Amino acid sequence: METNLLIALAVFVAVYALLIWDKINRAVVALLGASALVLLGVLNQEAAVRGIDFNTLGLLIAMMAIVTISQKTGMFQYLAIRAAKMVKGNPWWILVALSVVTASVSALLDNVTTVLLTVPITFLLTDELELDPYPFLVAQVLSSNIGGTATLIGDPPNIMIGSAVGLTFMDFVYNVGVIVPAVLAGTLIPMYFLYGKKMKVSDELKRRIMAFNENEAITDKGLLAKCLIVLAITIGAFIFQKPLHLEAATIGLFGAAVLMLIAKEDVHHVMEKAEWTSIFFFLGLFVVVHSLVEVGLIGSLAQKTLDLTGGDMKVAGMTILWVSAIASAFIDNIPFVATMIPLLKGMAPGLGGPDAILPLWWALSLGACLGGNGTLIGASANVVVAGMAAKNGHPISFMKFTYVAFPLMLISIVISTVYMWLRYFAG
Amino acid sequence: MIAANVMTKEVITLGPDSTMLEALRIIKGKEVRQIPVIDRAGKVEGVITPRKLFKGILPPYVVEGMLEDVKFAPELPEFVENIKRLAKKGVEDVLEKDFVAVTPETSTMEVATLFFNPAKHTEAILVLGPDKKLLGIISPWDVFRRILEHYNGL
Repeated sequence: METNLLIALAVFVAVYALLIWDKINRAVVALLGASALVLLGVLNQEAAVRGIDFNTLGLLIAMMAIVTISQKTGMFQYLAIRAAKMVKGNPWWILVALSVVTASVSALLDNVTTVLLTVPITFLLTDELELDPYPFLVAQVLSSNIGGTATLIGDPPNIMIGSAVGLTFMDFVYNVGVIVPAVLAGTLIPMYFLYGKKMKVSDELKRRIMAFNENEAITDKGLLAKCLIVLAITIGAFIFQKPLHLEAATIGLFGAAVLMLIAKEDVHHVMEKAEWTSIFFFLGLFVVVHSLVEVGLIGSLAQKTLDLTGGDMKVAGMTILWVSAIASAFIDNIPFVATMIPLLKGMAPGLGGPDAILPLWWALSLGACLGGNGTLIGASANVVVAGMAAKNGHPISFMKFTYVAFPLMLISIVISTVYMWLRYFAG
Repeated sequence: MIAANVMTKEVITLGPDSTMLEALRIIKGKEVRQIPVIDRAGKVEGVITPRKLFKGILPPYVVEGMLEDVKFAPELPEFVENIKRLAKKGVEDVLEKDFVAVTPETSTMEVATLFFNPAKHTEAILVLGPDKKLLGIISPWDVFRRILEHYNGL
C-alpha cells in the first residue's frame, strides 16, 4: 500500500512536470502516466477505467462535432461583421462588440474555435480601419475565456466540475453566469482608458466597414437553418436539464447525432475533426488523478486542507478562488481542476456535506476559468491567438501581454471575490 | 513526344541581385507565368511565382486560409504600402525554391500530369539540363497545343 502511494505520487508529479515543461504532447504525457500506473500495479485496468469520466468525454466530443459542422455555415463571421456594423464602424465600440460576440459564442462553444473563427475578421476590420489590431486581440482573448466561464459547456473546467458533482447547465448560469457580464465590463472599462481613448478613425474608413455585406458571409443557408435548429434544441434541452433528468453528454451527443443525420456532411470528416489529442489527454489525466484517490492520498490531503482552513467555508472558498486563479494563469487549468475535484469532494464531509460546499465549486470554476487570462500561456485560446497574430506580423510578446492581462485578471477575481462574499458568505 | 519539343527556349530571367522592382516591371509589361532566377553559373536558384507575389502583398489572414473567402468585404484594404515594401526586396528573398522542373527527355504526358498534381499547383514547368542549367519553360498551353496537333478538325 505504502509503495503504491509513492508510485502514484511519483507518476502524478512526473506528469505535472512534463505538462509544465510542455515539450511532449500532453495526450502522450497523460497516456504514459495512466498506462504506467496500470503496468506498475497501482491500479488494475478495471479500476483505471472507473476513474474516467465518460460524461465529460461524451460532451466534449459532441460539442466538437456540432462546432465542426456549424462553422462551415459562416455564422460566426456573420455575427462579427454584423456587430461591427451595428456600432457604425466606431473603433472602440467595434472592440466592445467583438468582445461581446466572442464572449457569447464562447459561452456556448469552445473558446479556441471561437477565436479561430472571429480573429481573422478582426484582422480584416483593423486593416480596413488602419488600426493596430493588438488591443482588439487582447480583448478577444480575455472575453473568450470570460464568456467560457458562464456556462456548463463553455469551458472544460466547468464540464468536468458539472459532471463530477452533478451540476446542471442552469446551475452554472445562475451561480457563475450571472457575474460574467460584470467581469466582462470590469475588463473592458480599463481597456478603454488604456487603448480606446486613443482610437481615432476617419469617417471615410468607417464607411468601408459599413460597406461590408455580412449576408455574403453565410455560405450555406440550408445548413445554417439545420445548425440553428439543432443548436436551439440542444441548448433548450440544457436549460431544462434538471427537470429532464439528463446528463450533459446525453444531450450533447443526441444533438450531434441529429445534426450529422440531417446536415448530410461527410461524417468521416466531422469525426476526424474532433480534437482527439484533447480527448485522450482527458482520458489519461482522469486515470492519473483517480490513482491518487485509490491510494488514499487525496483523502489525507483533504483532511490536511480541512485542518488548515479550520473547517471555515469562507476561508476555504476564498482560498480556492485565488489559488485556482493564480495557478491557472501559469499551468493548464484542466489538470489543476481534475486534481481539485476529488480533493474538494474529500473535504465535503468536514464542511457540512455536498450541498454546503456548493459555493466552493463556483469558486473553483471562476478561479480556474478566469485565471487563464493572466498570462499568454494561461489558456488555449491565448496561445492560439498569439500564433495567429505572429503569422500576421503582429507578434504578441509574453511580457507585453502579461503586463496588461495579469492586472485585468486580478480585477476579475476581485469582482468574483466581492460577488461570492455577498452571495454566499456574508451573514 | 518529349519536353524538349514543346518548351519555349527564349525565357525571360532575372539575376540573383535583381530587385523585385525589376520583377514587377516584367510582370506589368509582358505575359509571363513564372520568372526563373539564374545565378552567375547559369544554375536556376528558384522562380518568382504569382503565388509568392500575392503572399507578399495580401495579408496572411487571407492567403493562409484563415478566412475561407472574403465575399462579404466589397474591397480589401489598400495594399499600396505592401507593394512598395515588396518592390524594395531582392528577388532572392521572394523566390520560390520548391519549383517544378523536368529534363528535356521527360515525356509530354508526364509534363501534363505534373500540371494536374494538386500538391504542386504550378503555372509553369522548367526544363533543366545537367547542372540545373535552364533550357526552356513549358506552360500548360504548350502541352495542350502539342496534343491538338493530333486532331485535324480545327
